[in-house]
Amino acid sequence: MSRDAPTLDTVLENPRVWRGQGGRQTANGLSTGYPALDRCLSGGGWPDAALIEILTDAYGIGELELLMPALAALCMPPVSPDEEPGWIAWIAPPFQPYPPALRDWRVDLERLLIVRPKDADEVLWSAEQALSSGTCAAVLLWPERFDDQVSRRLQLAAGKGRSRAFAFRPVSAQREPSAAALRLRLTPEADGTEVAVVKNRGGRPAVFKRFFQSERASPESP
Amino acid sequence: MPRSRRKPAFRREEGLTAADIGPAILKRPPGDSQYRLPLAEVSPASHPIPDRSGNSERLWFAVYLPSLPLDAMPPSEQPRVLVEERQGIHRVLLADTDALEAGVMPGQSASAALALMPDIELLERSLPAERETLERLAGWLERFSSCVSLAGPDLFVLEIARSLRLFGGLRTLRRQIALGLDAQGYRTGVAIAPTPLSAIWLARDGRRACIRNAANILPALRQLPLVRLDWPASVTAALEGMGVRTVGECLRLPREGFAKRFGRCRLRELDQALGRLPDPRRAWRTPERFVADYEMTEEQSDRELLLAICKSLLEQQERFLLLRQQGTQRIRLEFFHLRAPASSLEVGAAELERRARHWFDLLSIRFEQLTLPEPVIAVRLESGKGRALRRQSASLALGREPGRTLNYSMRQLAERLTARLGSGSIHGVHTVAEHRPQYAWQTADVLTGVALSTSEAGLYRSSRPLWMLPSPEPLTMREGCPWHEGPLKLLSGPERLETCWWDDDGISRDYYQACSPRGRRLWVFRVRERRQADAGHWYLHGYFG
Repeated sequence: MSRDAPTLDTVLENPRVWRGQGGRQTANGLSTGYPALDRCLSGGGWPDAALIEILTDAYGIGELELLMPALAALCMPPVSPDEEPGWIAWIAPPFQPYPPALRDWRVDLERLLIVRPKDADEVLWSAEQALSSGTCAAVLLWPERFDDQVSRRLQLAAGKGRSRAFAFRPVSAQREPSAAALRLRLTPEADGTEVAVVKNRGGRPAVFKRFFQSERASPESP
Repeated sequence: MPRSRRKPAFRREEGLTAADIGPAILKRPPGDSQYRLPLAEVSPASHPIPDRSGNSERLWFAVYLPSLPLDAMPPSEQPRVLVEERQGIHRVLLADTDALEAGVMPGQSASAALALMPDIELLERSLPAERETLERLAGWLERFSSCVSLAGPDLFVLEIARSLRLFGGLRTLRRQIALGLDAQGYRTGVAIAPTPLSAIWLARDGRRACIRNAANILPALRQLPLVRLDWPASVTAALEGMGVRTVGECLRLPREGFAKRFGRCRLRELDQALGRLPDPRRAWRTPERFVADYEMTEEQSDRELLLAICKSLLEQQERFLLLRQQGTQRIRLEFFHLRAPASSLEVGAAELERRARHWFDLLSIRFEQLTLPEPVIAVRLESGKGRALRRQSASLALGREPGRTLNYSMRQLAERLTARLGSGSIHGVHTVAEHRPQYAWQTADVLTGVALSTSEAGLYRSSRPLWMLPSPEPLTMREGCPWHEGPLKLLSGPERLETCWWDDDGISRDYYQACSPRGRRLWVFRVRERRQADAGHWYLHGYFG
C-alpha cells in the first residue's frame, strides 16, 4: 500500500487522536528515563517542540531529578557528526544548580547556560530568545509572571526552535488555562513524591504515588 | 614676497635632483679595488657590476630616535630617569639633561642615581608605550611621504625623492620634518642618503648628513665606526680585534672570507648600503577604521527613523569591511544633540563580524534601553579595529534529516542575551577538583567558548544535591534534633569533610542527607571543629531537587 494514502494507522499515529486505554502509542517523545512515567505520556516521553509545565510548591522533592535523565540524553553527541548537541539554558533558577551533582547525572556541563535576568519581563524575553534560537535543546525557566498569553508565546517559540521549555510554576497555577502540551504536578508526601499528569495532549491524566522514594530512584533500572 | 622667494629655490632644487641622482657609482671603472670588494654573492665574478639596486631615483630620509624609551613616557616636572632591570638590578638606561648634569650616568644602578639626585622620577621602561609612540609618529610622518617604513625599534626611513616637489625642495622638507619632531619633544638624528641603510647608519652616527649622489655614499661611510651599524657586539668586537674599526676598513677585506666569517647577511647589508643590491622596504600603513556620519537637516526624535539611519550606516560599514575582507568586534554609535552632550552606545560581538543585519540585531536590543535626552541632529558610527575575517564554509547537507532549525548560533544567542541583560548575568559552569563543596565549581564565560577541564564524573555519585544554597543556612535545634519545617530525619551519612586546615577557609563538617516531614530532601551538615564558635551547630547547604 502506498504510504501516502491516509490509512487508519497513520491517522491513529497523530498524537491528537486519543484511543483510550491500551491504544498503540507513537514514540516520538524523548524518554524521561523513568519507564513508569514514559508509559503514561502520549509520545512515550517528553513531547518535542512544546511547553511543559511542572507545578510544584517546594524545592527538594525531586523536581530536577525528574528531568535529569532526559537532559543527560540531550547532551549526548548526536548521530551525525556535523550536528552539535543542543544547549540547556537555565533561566532564573531559584538556587545555584550544583555542577558536581549535574556531572554525576552525566549532564555535559559545557552545554549549560545559566541566565539570571533582573526582572520578570526579562525572564520571559530570555526564554523566548533561547527557545526560538534553535540552539537550545531544552530551556528550564522559573518565571515569576506567567499567564495564558505567555504560555502561548513560549509554546510558539518552542515550536519555532524545535526546543522544549520546562516551566516551573506553583501548584495554584493548575486552575489557570495554559497552552502547555504537558502539565505535571509534583506534591511531596511523607513516603515520597506524587507525580500527577494533569494535562497530557493526546493522552489521559494519570497519577503516580511514591514516585521518588527517600532513596534516589535509579533511572537505569526498569 | 615670500612667494617669489620660494619659487627660485624650488626650481633650484628641481634642477639639482635631475642632475645629481643617478647610478653614478656604476660609471666608475671597475678597476679600483675598493669598489670591487662588495660584490653581491648572486652576481658572477665578471665585471662590470650590473645595476640591481633600483635605488637610482630614490632618496631616503632616516629618523633616529635615540631617547625614544624616555620620550615615550609622560612628561613630568621632575628630572626623569629611565631604568631597566638587568640581571635583577635596576640600571639607568637613559636620563634627561637635568639628571645628566647632576651626574646620573647610563649604566648606573637605580640606587646610585637616587643617591646623586633624590628627587628624580624613576620610570620603568615600557616597550608597548614605545611601540605606540613609534606607530603614532609613523602616522604623522605619512604626511611627508607615501613610503614610511619602520626600520627598527627606534628608526624610520622615509622615501622622499617624490615628495621634494610638493614640499618645495629638500631643505624645506628636512626643516619641516626636523622642526615637527622637535616640537613634539623628540630628540632625533636625521640623515639623507640614496639608500635606506646608509641613511640609517649616518642618522645613528648623529651626523646631519645629506648625500644626494650615490657616488658620495662610500666617502661618507668610509669613516663611519662599525659600532653604528647595529651589528651584534660579537661581530664588531671580532672585527675590532682584527683592527677593523670603520666601514671603509671593512670594505677592504676579501669578500668571500668576510662572508664566511661574519655571515652573508653582513656582506649583503654592506652591498645594500652602497646601493649595489636592492633594499626593498615595507611601507607602514596606519590601520584603517570605518567612521561615518549621518547629518540631518533638522532634529529628529523618531526612534524608528534613527534606527533606520543606523541601519544604513551599518550597511556602509559592511561594504567597507567587505572590500577589505575584514570584520570587527566592536562598534560605537554616537547620537549628537544640539544642546546636550552626545549620547553614545557601544555594542560588542563575540566574534569578528561585518554583517549589517547581525549588528543591527544587537544594536536594536541596546537601542531600546538608550534614553535620548534631546532630539538628534547627527549620528556617527565608528567601528572598532578591523581584523582579517576568516569564514568557515558550511558542510554540504546531503540527505540530512531536518533537525532543529538553527535560526542563529549559540554565540549569537549569548550576544543577544548579554546585550540586553548585561555581561554578568549569563555564564556557564565547570567543576573543580576540590573537596570543599562551595569551591567544587566555578562559573565559565560562555562567549570565549574554551573547553574547560572538567573533572571526571562519578567521584561522589549521588551524594551531592542538585540545588546549592549560596551560603549555608543555620538550622534551629528543637527537641534535640535539627529542625526544618519539622524534625529532620537523617537518611544517610555522615560524610566527613575535613580539609584545608592550613588556610583560613578550612572546614570540618559531617554532611548528612536528611528528609523533612514534608518530604523534602536536604543536604545538611554539622560543624565539628571545636575551636569554632558554632561547633555542633547544624546548617542547611542544599536541596536534592
